[in-house]
Amino acid sequence: MASRTVALGRGRAGGLPGLGWLALALGLGLLLAAVWNVWNFPLDGVPPGRKGLSLTLIVLGLASGIYGLAILARRMTGVVPALLAALLTLVAVEGLLRAYGVPPGLIPTPTRVATALYNSRTVLLGDARVTFVQEALLGYLAGVGMGILVALAAVRFPFLERGALPYAGLFASIPIVALAPVIVKAFGLEWPSKAIIVAITVFFPVVVNVVRGLQSASPLLLDLMQTYAVTPAASFRLVRVPSALPFLFNALKIGSTLALIGAIVGEFFGTTGQGLGFRIQIEAGRFNLDIVWAAIVIASVLGIAFYGVISWLEMRFTSWHASRRQPG
Amino acid sequence: MIIVAALALALYWPLMLWVNAGAAQRSLDNGAELGCTTAIACATQLRNPVLPAPAQLGNSLRAMSVPPLAPTSVPYNTLITAGETVVGLLIASVLGIGLAVALVGSRAFERVTLPWLIASQTVPVIALAPMLAVVLGQYGVQGWLPKALIAAYIAFFPVAVGVAAGLRSPDPMQEDLLTTYRASGWQTFWKLRLPASLPFLFTSLKVAATAALIGSIVAEISTISFSGLGKMLAENSRASDTLALWVIMLYGAGLGIALVAVLGLLERLVTPWRAGQSR
Repeated sequence: MASRTVALGRGRAGGLPGLGWLALALGLGLLLAAVWNVWNFPLDGVPPGRKGLSLTLIVLGLASGIYGLAILARRMTGVVPALLAALLTLVAVEGLLRAYGVPPGLIPTPTRVATALYNSRTVLLGDARVTFVQEALLGYLAGVGMGILVALAAVRFPFLERGALPYAGLFASIPIVALAPVIVKAFGLEWPSKAIIVAITVFFPVVVNVVRGLQSASPLLLDLMQTYAVTPAASFRLVRVPSALPFLFNALKIGSTLALIGAIVGEFFGTTGQGLGFRIQIEAGRFNLDIVWAAIVIASVLGIAFYGVISWLEMRFTSWHASRRQPG
Repeated sequence: MIIVAALALALYWPLMLWVNAGAAQRSLDNGAELGCTTAIACATQLRNPVLPAPAQLGNSLRAMSVPPLAPTSVPYNTLITAGETVVGLLIASVLGIGLAVALVGSRAFERVTLPWLIASQTVPVIALAPMLAVVLGQYGVQGWLPKALIAAYIAFFPVAVGVAAGLRSPDPMQEDLLTTYRASGWQTFWKLRLPASLPFLFTSLKVAATAALIGSIVAEISTISFSGLGKMLAENSRASDTLALWVIMLYGAGLGIALVAVLGLLERLVTPWRAGQSR
């Protein structure tokens, strides 16, 4: 039974990638035609005939595109199918929004967002610098550093571990939004208050994971070090630190997401007039949603890049670990 | 554990006096009427302390919690926010499990959507909340529903990714066993994959619960709302009432911890076979 499904799948997968590309191209073409058909009209001025034509084209284009994508995705791995799917979706959304004449104050079309991204690039890049470099990155480094120090202390003094570590789990489930206004009030509107919020949110996962990692060292290896008469310090460096690294990187990855969220949420409670969170809130209030989307795009790109850099570091430093050697 | 808590509280007093003394000195220098003469004596009586004195915090905690069900009291608003978050989590679980089943069912669908799901985990989804609030408000979705929807939106991705991993977690040996029993695909799914995914569901729900709580609070801040922790936060943040903010923070923290604890309890009930392993 199992082998039959495999054979069936392989047979289908081998079939006609050319047809897939053709269907995908046809779908994209139909969608582009649908967009072009309703390109330059005032919001409530799309003639019903053109609207109907565009909607038909979008349905046909999506059907053809999805069919093609389904064929291609069976053979291709990696990010190419996902990127193609995003392209298809974006063009279809553009067509739908234009055909229905949705006001840009409600949902801006993708091209409008791209235009806003380009037009306000200096402002948005300045915001990104404040949010990412000053608030998220500095807070992240401070939180990770403090977390590692506390974890080392907790492993060295079991009293601390038994007494203080249970609180780390509790503190980790406190919502940042409740914490943020208090810290902004206490430390002022400038960027350090946001860096402190980020540091606090990153701190707890690092402590919990590093302690668990340092303790995950195999007792056998520690015994072996002892029979070699290795000094405790060297044994720590040779056995405990490497076994803690995968756990540390796990925490670093969790923290990279938390850092951006912390910085952006912190800005919702007051800033000095710069930052992505500030920009998002202020422009959402003014119904300039194209700029809001542009800021979200930048925040997303930063978030993915941050995560990517840490994953890359993880690969370099823990390539020996079992989870990397074997897939799954 | 209790000794450390006592130690932290004991350390809190001098720290509080130290950080507040500066502010107290400044207001004394400006000639403010505080009813005390030295900076140290005033440190426990500031209207907007950097760190509140325990007695001050206790007083405002009592003042803001009584009567518990008045629309202006914090417990009532905590319940409102808790309700929104729980509804959001329910919506997120249903949608997340549905998407996970689709992901596991079709390899092509997975290849097209999974990279985006993973990328969305690294994106500060919370940035979308103020905008979603505006858009939903435009279409006449008001009251508690938009908050629950935003909470669901934020909790949805961790649930989908977690359940998809869980549905794939059964050992190939177990799948082979069911094949030898001539179990249909549906039976394999129902009897093996779904139970195997439950622990993953709860792990991701715990992550999602905190995220959903943040989502509903941010939604309350950025939409027109008349109740909820977020509305109280926004009000008191504008009024610069530091003590009230501390009280709301304590309630928010309590709610977050309670949500995760309830999920942990549910996990024990639903997956009793794992009770020995976890914790």
